[in-house]
Amino acid sequence: MEVIITKENQEVVASLNGRLDTPASLEIAPQMDSLKADAGGTVVLDCSQMSYISSSGLRLFLALRKAAAEKGGKVIVRNITDEVRSVFMMTGFLNLFEIQ
Amino acid sequence: MKQKDDVNASIFKRSSWTGLMLVLVAAITLEATSLVQYIFARKGLENEASNRAMTQLEATQYKIMDVIDQAEAAVRNSVWIAQWALTHTDSVQLISQRIVADNPVIVGSTMAFVPGYVPERPLFSPYAFWDADTLAFTSLATPEYDYPSQEWFVKPIELGTGYWSEPYVDTGGGEILMTTYSLPITDPETGKIAAVLTGDISLEWLSDLVGDIEIYPNATGIMVSRAGQWITNKGDDTASINKRARFLDQARNRADFKELQQAMLSGESGVRTLTFNKVKRTVYFAPVEKTGWSMCIAIPESDIYKNVKRVGFWVTLLQLLGLAMLIFILRALVRNQAKYSKLSERKKMMESELQIASNIQMAMIPKTFPPFPERHDLDMAASIDPAKEIGGDLYDFFIRDDKLFFCIGDVSGKGIPAALVMAVTRSVFRSVTTHEDRPGKIIAAMNNSMVDVNDNTMFVTFFCGVLDLKGGHLSYCNAGHNPPMILTDAIRTLPVEANLPLGIIKGFEYVEQETDLQNDDALFLYTDGLTEAENSEQRQFGVMRTKEALRGRKRSDLHLKNIQSEVKKFVGDAPQSDDLTMLFIHYLGKDGDSTTERTLTLTNKINEISKLAGFIDDIAESAHLDSGLASMLNLAIEEAVTNVVNYAYPEGKEGKIDITSTLQKGRLVFAICDSGKPFDPTKAPKADTQSSVEQRPIGGLGIHLVRNIMDTVNYEYKDGQNILTLTKAL
Repeated sequence: MEVIITKENQEVVASLNGRLDTPASLEIAPQMDSLKADAGGTVVLDCSQMSYISSSGLRLFLALRKAAAEKGGKVIVRNITDEVRSVFMMTGFLNLFEIQ
Repeated sequence: MKQKDDVNASIFKRSSWTGLMLVLVAAITLEATSLVQYIFARKGLENEASNRAMTQLEATQYKIMDVIDQAEAAVRNSVWIAQWALTHTDSVQLISQRIVADNPVIVGSTMAFVPGYVPERPLFSPYAFWDADTLAFTSLATPEYDYPSQEWFVKPIELGTGYWSEPYVDTGGGEILMTTYSLPITDPETGKIAAVLTGDISLEWLSDLVGDIEIYPNATGIMVSRAGQWITNKGDDTASINKRARFLDQARNRADFKELQQAMLSGESGVRTLTFNKVKRTVYFAPVEKTGWSMCIAIPESDIYKNVKRVGFWVTLLQLLGLAMLIFILRALVRNQAKYSKLSERKKMMESELQIASNIQMAMIPKTFPPFPERHDLDMAASIDPAKEIGGDLYDFFIRDDKLFFCIGDVSGKGIPAALVMAVTRSVFRSVTTHEDRPGKIIAAMNNSMVDVNDNTMFVTFFCGVLDLKGGHLSYCNAGHNPPMILTDAIRTLPVEANLPLGIIKGFEYVEQETDLQNDDALFLYTDGLTEAENSEQRQFGVMRTKEALRGRKRSDLHLKNIQSEVKKFVGDAPQSDDLTMLFIHYLGKDGDSTTERTLTLTNKINEISKLAGFIDDIAESAHLDSGLASMLNLAIEEAVTNVVNYAYPEGKEGKIDITSTLQKGRLVFAICDSGKPFDPTKAPKADTQSSVEQRPIGGLGIHLVRNIMDTVNYEYKDGQNILTLTKAL
């Protein structure tokens, strides 16, 4: 699992590449936590290369989203795959994020 | 039910109380209103009576004054001629004559000389008067009459001015009640009073005038002279006079009457009340000027308030009618309300009792599906859907010695009796089948014991089958039930002997039949509630639609759901007329056993979870699953396993997790076993997927995902192992 964080214009974009299963969530947790620092602005999670997400991954997403809510920023989830979209649907996450 | 009735009684009582209070309030309001109205009306009538009486008294006074003035004027106007006559005594009679003749109000007149003024006639008083229609003459100078001592003669001389006498009965003339106006005539030469000139007026007329004040039917008008003489006519016998006389007779000695008289004589005007002979009278009085007389009108209260009484009578009558109607309506309402609340209470009671009965009934029949998750050779489902709260349909099944015993039945009739028979039937089925595995014998035994207990002429259509799961051999016996369907390559009706329903003829010989089921064959049993389900056009669902709905091979519970929704679609809004019970038995046979089984064993470390992906991929590949479903299965298993990794074993203790996947025909079964502490993840609370970002808890989604993805999630703790069984239809 690989996370690439870039800053483009006013946005912080984190590209998540690979399967975000339980071990992977543990692995990327520090990087996801670091994104909270930018949660006052706009954080984009590019999921085009993320084919799978488990509840551990969802926790990371939600934690970031909560930080953004606290700081008045927003989290955009971009390019989610059908599989991930189904999981978002089942868990009510579609309503929590701006999905692009 | 006793308590129930008490509750109802108290509801009824409460309603009655409310009603009674309502009537009371209405009555009080009405009465208060009419009391106020009555008081105002009385006041108004009182004022009106006062006004009318005073107006009448005033008008009468004017009339009297008119007469008095005319009489006075007539006398006064004759003063000059009287003075002239002092020296022409021959003409004295002419003066009286003229006064009487020219003035209609004057009934008699005289010029009475002071004794000795006319030397040749020491007493001289010629009197002219009306005797009926004739003008008559007489002399008052008689020793009997002795006019110089009469009041009308003495007073004016004494006072030196005109004087109205007290009323008196004229004895000299017409024997009538009269009063006299007398005016002293002065001799112009000596300045001394020489004579008294008089004019008499009839008090009969005046008295009638007052007495006829008919402002009320029973009003009485009377005059009183300044000496306190009540002027009533004598001799004349009219009702009016009698009335006055009666009034005076009754009142005369009463203190309040005397007080009234006093007030009248003092020249006041006012009002008093007199009560005698049980009649309360209001007496209005006013003085008659100049004469010192006074007149009064006594009006009985019954006259004054007659209208208010009459109106009051009607108002009260209307009010009573209104109240009666109100009471009537309220009673009806209260009764209805009580009836309805009674009914609805009863109904609720009934419903809850039926619910309990229904629950007990439902508890008797197996309804955990899949019923035999450990068996791979059988997939079955059943449903029962009573038309009323509680029904007479039943099914039952169990496995003994690798044989599936199953039955379906329909008790004639519905409701509680049917349900009781159903319960009996089921228990007889269970007791007979403990030692018997031939359906024919089972049914015969059941029939015999049911005939014995059946004194209600209820019968049961029943189908019983015994399926040998080892080879698919099916033996069955039908007792008047509609034949099941058998699903092989085609869907057809299982050939059955009709026989007779249970409970009719003791010793009836039931024919047992048999057939063989191939792997993947299925049986569909149902009650007539299915084929006879009617839509609003009275058309039945029928066998053809049933067969159509059974096409294809699905998991058995999905078959039943499908049929239920087809029936619902067909029936529409029409009420369900009969119980609907279905039993679907899918015999998987050796196909079920020959499924590929794979096992993955992990240790309780997070990183181990990554191995699941490859494991699931292999299964997906061999079962030809699409990647989406595979991904979902991966997720479900991962969540379940993560749960075990996190919670099953104590921190730092290594433990094993076995994941077994079984691919059966039509479904995948995963069993996740560990030897950790007993932990049932299915008991986890429902995850929150609705609330806002701030409120949304982090976590709790794992088991939620498992439940969402898999069709069934079952947990058991067995032989020191947590076993979580997850299935997914394919």
